[in-house]
Amino acid sequence: MRSLAIIGGLFVASLSWASDVTLPDYERVVLDNGTVLLLAAKHDVPLVGMRAVVRGGSVADPAGKAGVADLLASVIQKGAGNRDAAEFAEAAARVGGNIAATADVETVEITAEFLSRDIDLMIELVADMLMRPTLAEDEVDKERDRAVALIAAAKDSNLAGLMPSYTNAFIFGEHPFGNPTFGSESTLAAITHDDVVQYHADNFGGDRLIIAVAGDVQLDALRARLTTVFGAWEPAAAPLPDIPAPDRAASGRVLLVDKPGAAQTYFWIGNVGVAIDYPRRAELNLANTVFGGRFTSMLMTELRVKSGLTYGARSRVERRSEAGAVTIRSYTETARTVEAIDMAIDILGRLHDRGLNDEMIESARNYIMGQFPPSLETASSLAGMFAFLEQHGLDRTYIDDYGAALAEATPVTVSNAIADVYPQTNDLVFVLIGDADEIREAVAKYGEITEFAITEPRFRPSPTR
Amino acid sequence: MSLFSELRRRNVFKVALLYAVASWLLVWIVGRLVDGVGLSSWVADYVLLLLAIGFPVALIFAWTYEITPAGLQKAVDVDQTQSIVYKTGQKLNAAVAVLAVLGVAAVIGERLLPEFTPPPPLVLEEIPLRPVFDFSAKAEVPREITSFNLPNGLEVIVWPDHDIPNVALYIFVRAGGRNEYPGITGLAHFFEHMMFNGTDSRDVGEFDEEMEAAGGANNAYTSNDVTVYMDWFPRSALETIFELESDRFMNLAIDPDVVETERGAVYSERRSGVDDDNTGRLYEQMMATAYIAHPYQNPVIGWPSDIENWTQDDLESFFKTYYAPNNLTMVLAGDVTPEEIYLLADQYFSPIPRQYPPPEITTVEPEQMGERRFVIETDAQAPLLHVAFHAGATSDPETLHMDLLLAVLAEGDSSRLHRALVEDERLALSVGGFQTDGFDPGLVYFYLTLPPGGDLAATETRLLEELRRVAEEGVTAAELEKARNLRLASFWRGLQTINGKASALGNFEVFTGDYENLFSVPELLAQTDEATLQAVARQVFRRANMTLGVLRAAEPGADQ
Repeated sequence: MRSLAIIGGLFVASLSWASDVTLPDYERVVLDNGTVLLLAAKHDVPLVGMRAVVRGGSVADPAGKAGVADLLASVIQKGAGNRDAAEFAEAAARVGGNIAATADVETVEITAEFLSRDIDLMIELVADMLMRPTLAEDEVDKERDRAVALIAAAKDSNLAGLMPSYTNAFIFGEHPFGNPTFGSESTLAAITHDDVVQYHADNFGGDRLIIAVAGDVQLDALRARLTTVFGAWEPAAAPLPDIPAPDRAASGRVLLVDKPGAAQTYFWIGNVGVAIDYPRRAELNLANTVFGGRFTSMLMTELRVKSGLTYGARSRVERRSEAGAVTIRSYTETARTVEAIDMAIDILGRLHDRGLNDEMIESARNYIMGQFPPSLETASSLAGMFAFLEQHGLDRTYIDDYGAALAEATPVTVSNAIADVYPQTNDLVFVLIGDADEIREAVAKYGEITEFAITEPRFRPSPTR
Repeated sequence: MSLFSELRRRNVFKVALLYAVASWLLVWIVGRLVDGVGLSSWVADYVLLLLAIGFPVALIFAWTYEITPAGLQKAVDVDQTQSIVYKTGQKLNAAVAVLAVLGVAAVIGERLLPEFTPPPPLVLEEIPLRPVFDFSAKAEVPREITSFNLPNGLEVIVWPDHDIPNVALYIFVRAGGRNEYPGITGLAHFFEHMMFNGTDSRDVGEFDEEMEAAGGANNAYTSNDVTVYMDWFPRSALETIFELESDRFMNLAIDPDVVETERGAVYSERRSGVDDDNTGRLYEQMMATAYIAHPYQNPVIGWPSDIENWTQDDLESFFKTYYAPNNLTMVLAGDVTPEEIYLLADQYFSPIPRQYPPPEITTVEPEQMGERRFVIETDAQAPLLHVAFHAGATSDPETLHMDLLLAVLAEGDSSRLHRALVEDERLALSVGGFQTDGFDPGLVYFYLTLPPGGDLAATETRLLEELRRVAEEGVTAAELEKARNLRLASFWRGLQTINGKASALGNFEVFTGDYENLFSVPELLAQTDEATLQAVARQVFRRANMTLGVLRAAEPGADQ
C-alpha cells in the first residue's frame, strides 16, 4: 500500500489546479425605471430559478426598530395582489413551487424556484409581493409576535444562530451594521403596522430592483414579460440609505451573555475587516481558506483534530458595501473555555507572523477552484450570482478573472492581505455565551466584561436599546 | 501356485491398499476444498464416483501388467527369473506408508491448527427486502447510467454528467445505529470520525490535507441505518480520491491516542446537538420511548456512558465486519466515464478482501399496545411538543403515500397543520412533520414549537383532531394534486446537481434495492389517489400507536 500512497503523492504534486471557471453568458437589460433584468437560459431540467433583490435591507430600519425590513419580508408572503395569506401560500404550493422572502443587511430578497411550465405564475406572485403586498394589520401583528417568540425559542436551542446578533451589536455599536437584521425581542415589540407600511413605501420601488432569472426559459418572451410587469414600477420614496464606514471596535472588551447551566461556551472573537471592494480579494480568500475556511484549516486542525476541544472552528470575513466583521467562531465545553480561546488567539498570531508559504497557497488555490463550479451549477445559483454582482456594481470579470488572480498570489501579497484584514492579537473583542458563574473570573483576562442574561430581550450591551 | 499367492506376488493386494489410502487422502482434500474455498460439492461426489470406478480397473491392471526394467509388460510375458515384482512391492509399501503418514498428519494438523476461516462464496448477497413498490411502470432510466460489481462484492454505480468539470462520490456503508447494542451505541457514528484519522501510511489529518490540496472537499453522515462518505472534487483529482478512499477502507489505523482525542470531538458534537439543544434532547427521548425492542431506540450519537467506554476491540471488530467491500455501495456522478471508473475501482478496491456478511438485524419492534407519553421539565422558554407514530420502512409501498400525506399536513404555509395551529389559532410558532428513513419500520414524526407560555394541552388536542380528521375524511383532490406537484418539483430539484444525482441513486439503491426505482417516482406519484392516502392515515394515526413527548419549563415546586 505504501507504493500506492507514493503514486498518489506524486499525482497530487504534479496536479495543476483546475481550469478557470467562467460565468455562462447572460443578458443585462436596464428598464426605464432603473430596474435591472439579468437573464440566462439553461435547459437541463424543467426548472426556472429567480432572484429578486431590493436594495435597502435592515440598514434602512428606523432607529430603535431593528427588524422592520425582516418583518416586511415575512408579511409580503402573507397576502399580496388579490390573494390573502392562505390563497397566496396555496398558489405556489399547488404547482410545487418554492417562494420565500428574507431580509439581509443591505437587501430584501425573494428567491423562487418553479417548474418551468409555471413561470408566468411565478412572475405574478413575485410581482405581487414586491408591488402589491396586502400588509394586513393582523398579519403584521401575528408575524411580529411570532418573531419575538422565535427568538425566545432560539435561546433554548443551539446558540450558534444567535451569535451574529450579539457579535454585530458589540463590534459595530451604534453603526447600522450593529442592528440585528431579524430584530431583538425589545425592538420588535416597538414595531407597528405603520412602520412596516412606511418601510415598504420608502424602500421598495423600481429604482431599487434587480431581477435575475435563469433556467428552462425562452429569453425573448421572458424579457418582454418582465419589462411589462416591472417596467412601470415607481421609484422608492426615500433615497437609498447612506452607510458610513464603520470605526474599528475598541479592543480588550468582553461581552459575556449568561446562560446558567450551559454545557458549553460559544465564542466569537474579532473586529472590523474590509468592504466588498477590497482589492486583494484573491489573497484574502486564500488566507481565510487556510486559516479557518475548510476542514484542514489551522483553526480546525488545532482546536478539533489535535486537541478535541470542539466539533467546529471557523473564521469568516464578511464583506459588505462597507467593512464587515472578521471573526473566529467556535465553541467548547465550559471547563475548557479559556484553553480554547487562548489557542484561537495563538493561531491568529501565527497567521500574522508566518503567513502562507507556497505550498499552502497552492493547496488553497486548488481547493477554491475545485469547489467553485458546483456553486454555480443550478439555475437558481446562477440567478443568485447575477444579482449579487449587480448589487455590488461588479461585472462578470469578478468570476471570470478570479482564477488568474488566485494564480498571481504570492506569499508576500497574501501576507499583505492578512495584515490589512485580520485584527492583531491585541486588537480583539470577545463575545461569549455560556455559564457566566463558571467562566467569569477566567475570561476577565481578555478585557473589561459587560454581562447580561440570555433571557434579556436584547442583543445590545446597552440596556437602553 | 494358488490364486492367493499369485495375487500377492503380482502386488495386487498392495496396489489395492495403496489405492485405498490414496483415495482416502484425495477425498479428504476435496472435502476440505468444498468446505473451505467454496468448491461445489458435486466435485466431491464426482471424485468419489471416479475412484469407485477406478478401483477394479486398478486391480485388473495390477494383475495383468508388471513393471520390468524394460518397461511395462504383460505379466504372463515376463520371464519370472527376471521379475522385479518384489522391488515394486517394496516401493508400493513405502508409498502406502508415506500416504498414510501424510493423511494422519493432515487430520491431526487440522485439529491442532486454528480453525480455518474460509472466505465467503463468490456470490452477491441479496439485501433482504420487504415487498417494495410496484416499480413495473418504470419511467425511462437515463441510458448513460451504468453499474457493475467487483468480484469482492463492491457495487459501483456511475452517472456521467459533463456539465461542470466536477465529480460527486458517495460511498454508502450499510452500518448505522441499527447495528449497535447496549455498550457500543454511537460506535457507527464514532467510526465515521475515525475514518478521517489516519491509515497505516497516513497520519491524522493527511487524508483531508491531500484531498483539499487536490481541490476536493468531503463530509460524512451517520444515520440509524447507514454511514455515508461523500467527496466533491474536480475531475483532475479523480485518481487521488480513489487512492485516498481505498487506503482508508483497506488500511485504517485505529490509534488508541487518536481514539481518545476523537471522543472529545464527539462529546462536543453531542453537547451542541443534544445536551444544549432542547429539540435534540426531546428527540432522543422520543426515540427511546417509541421503540422498546428495536435498536432504533438508541441515539446515533451514542449514550454518554457508551461514548466513554467503547474499546479498541469494539472498534476493530466493527471495522472488519462492516467496512467490507461486499457491504458497500459506491456512486459517482459527474465528469467521468464508466470505463475509467471501472479501471480505477478495480485497481484500488479489488485488493480489499470480501468478508462474511454482517449479522442480520432480526429484532422486530412489537406492535405498540397503547399510547406512551412523558414530560421533560427543564430550563426552557418555548415549550416543545413532539408526537410520533410507528409506520413503514422506506421500501414499503405505504411510505410514498405517507410522504404525500405529510406534504398535505405539514409542508409549507398552505399545509393543514400550519394553517390551523400557526396561522389561524396561533397555538404554535411552527409545526413540521417527516418520516424516518430506514431498512426497518420507522416513525411518522410531528414536531411543534410553542410560544413562551403556550398552551400545550390545547395544542395537543388540535393536532390530534387534525390527524383524526384526515383519517376519517381523507384528503381533497386539490390537496392530493398539490402534494404530487411538491414531490415532482423536489424530484427535479434533486436531479439538478451532480451531488443530488449521486445521493438519489445511492439512496434508492440501498433502501429500495435498485437505483432504477428512482425514475419510477413520477409515475408512482401519478398512480396515487385520495383513497391510498386516507388508508395510510387510518392505519398509522391511532392512539395506541402514538408516542407523545413534551418539553417545558419546570413548574416551581414540581419536584417536591
